[in-house]
Amino acid sequence: MPTIENNSTAADRPNDRYPPGDLAIWIFILAELAVFAIAFVGYAFARTYNVELFDEYQQHLDRRSALINTLVLITSSYFVVRAVHAIREDDSRRCVQWLSAALLMGALFLFIKGAEFAHHFSLGINLSTNTFYMFYLSLTIFHFMHVIMAMVILAAILLKAKRGGYSARDHRGVETGASYWHMVDLVWLILFPLVYVMH
Amino acid sequence: MHDENPSRNDNRTCTLVWLTMIGLTLVTYFSDKLGWNDLGVSLGVLLLALIKGHLVGAYFMELRHVRGFWRWPITLWLFVPGILISAAFYLADS
Repeated sequence: MPTIENNSTAADRPNDRYPPGDLAIWIFILAELAVFAIAFVGYAFARTYNVELFDEYQQHLDRRSALINTLVLITSSYFVVRAVHAIREDDSRRCVQWLSAALLMGALFLFIKGAEFAHHFSLGINLSTNTFYMFYLSLTIFHFMHVIMAMVILAAILLKAKRGGYSARDHRGVETGASYWHMVDLVWLILFPLVYVMH
Repeated sequence: MHDENPSRNDNRTCTLVWLTMIGLTLVTYFSDKLGWNDLGVSLGVLLLALIKGHLVGAYFMELRHVRGFWRWPITLWLFVPGILISAAFYLADS
């Protein structure tokens, strides 16, 4: 498996052939992104046959919660970036602090989104309600599961970092988890406008 | 003044990127209230999302430092579906 020199900042290595972290996670990330891309395009073309239905039921979504969740995920991604920078400076303590903050943001996202799901389910809305809800629930629940998985990965990295398992020379694990977390953020950045705003 | 600490520069750049993305997200949220036609708003909002996605790929995922194949998949992932989604919304509007 290709490796990168880890005892440097990103700015020191402008001509790497491979992205930060383990290359295997990047193959996994691309596979995940391909699935989401197909679902996004499927949503957009399904809408062409049901424009009024999609526009009507989109108005029932809680756009303010989605805005807050977007800001939360963007901020969590920023915290993860700072964690990577901290460990590159051999500062495990700050790395742990930034990772903890990112995890808190992830938990906040799950809480807000979970409340939104609970509201829908209390109204009897499910995948069979109509085409719009089929896409909306499939996309957002699938993404929700990815956030949980990314949090598990980040928590494992946090525990190892707490034990001093990473350093400026050896922090590929932190970069690997960070890349996956950013992928989850990236997907939401398209999902939010597509499902909640565009009409 | 030139800062010799590359890590500090990385932090400053990423902080700027984060604030830019927060700003673009707020523009997206309030875009409905600008009074443009629906298709114009939708395509504008999509463009902002693609720009934010590019910022995440280039700065947070650090792909701007990568050369060759691995520099491009995220950009392609953003713009190929972006074009198809735009086409779908255009078709729905016409």
